Amino acid sequence: MTARTQLLDRAVAQAMSAVSAAAKRGLGDPALAELVAIRASQLNHCAFCLDMHLEIARKHGVREQQLDLLAAWEEAGDDLFDERERTALALTEAVTVLTDGFVPDDVYERAAKHFGERELAHLIGLIVAINNWNRVMVSRRVPPGGYTP
Amino acid sequence: MTTEEITDHAAERPARMHWAQLAPEVYKAMARLDTAAKQGLDPSLVELVRLRASALNHCAFCLDMHTKDALAAGESVQRIVQLNAWEESQHFYTEKELAAIELTEAVTVLTDGFVPDEVYEKAAKHFEEAELAQLIATIAVINAWNRFGVTTRMVPGHYQPGDLG
Repeated sequence: MTARTQLLDRAVAQAMSAVSAAAKRGLGDPALAELVAIRASQLNHCAFCLDMHLEIARKHGVREQQLDLLAAWEEAGDDLFDERERTALALTEAVTVLTDGFVPDDVYERAAKHFGERELAHLIGLIVAINNWNRVMVSRRVPPGGYTP
Repeated sequence: MTTEEITDHAAERPARMHWAQLAPEVYKAMARLDTAAKQGLDPSLVELVRLRASALNHCAFCLDMHTKDALAAGESVQRIVQLNAWEESQHFYTEKELAAIELTEAVTVLTDGFVPDEVYEKAAKHFEEAELAQLIATIAVINAWNRFGVTTRMVPGHYQPGDLG
């Protein structure tokens, strides 16, 4: 499959990367950042993004079993995903499926228990940033496999 | 009459957090991205895209801001209101605007499926390739602002045109 278009303005791409990088830095948890990126990319069906972030996740040493069961994290048990990861994944899902409704208070408050306010702001930034990439990649139908670290 | 003069309304709910102050580097990069994405696009088209995405994502702050910005830029009340039923009120919009609005919806409801070929191709007929890439970026960026606005529950009602540059 070929891309619909590979065009993306240079300044746009640089600013998108800056949003992602600043959010990732502020969260300070590269492995969790990848779990969040992969889960959002699953929900948004972004093939390019899944390919890319699975590769980065493996590089960060994220366990293979976590990657295999991420799409069913709620059923996967809390020995595989700890409570902090679970609150981040629940928030990721709520922020990603925004057209279905608002981000519920209980989802937000659960996350707020496990992340400091500054950390939480950056986690939200990270969820927003990957949603941003998902939209730009899916719309242009950029094929998977083009990512090189 | 402004909302401030009405006393029997429900109480204003505070924001969950002030994310731009907590994550200033993220905010600055978002502002740069916003400026970069709209380059080369018709400003009134950009506001229509922002309004439609903000309605689909239920972002109260964004609707408040972009309605005021659109009105300040001379957009008509009719075109702003009818945007929510654009499929039935196509004669208020140009074919180019309609193609952009349709693409906005497809890119916004991404969890429901991919961006359909016919929607993309209709947009590609009205926008040349570089302009279309900017349109896609603009749709993605308002979706990003919508996510910040809804998740942190930014409070609508206080924005004045020009407040955010």
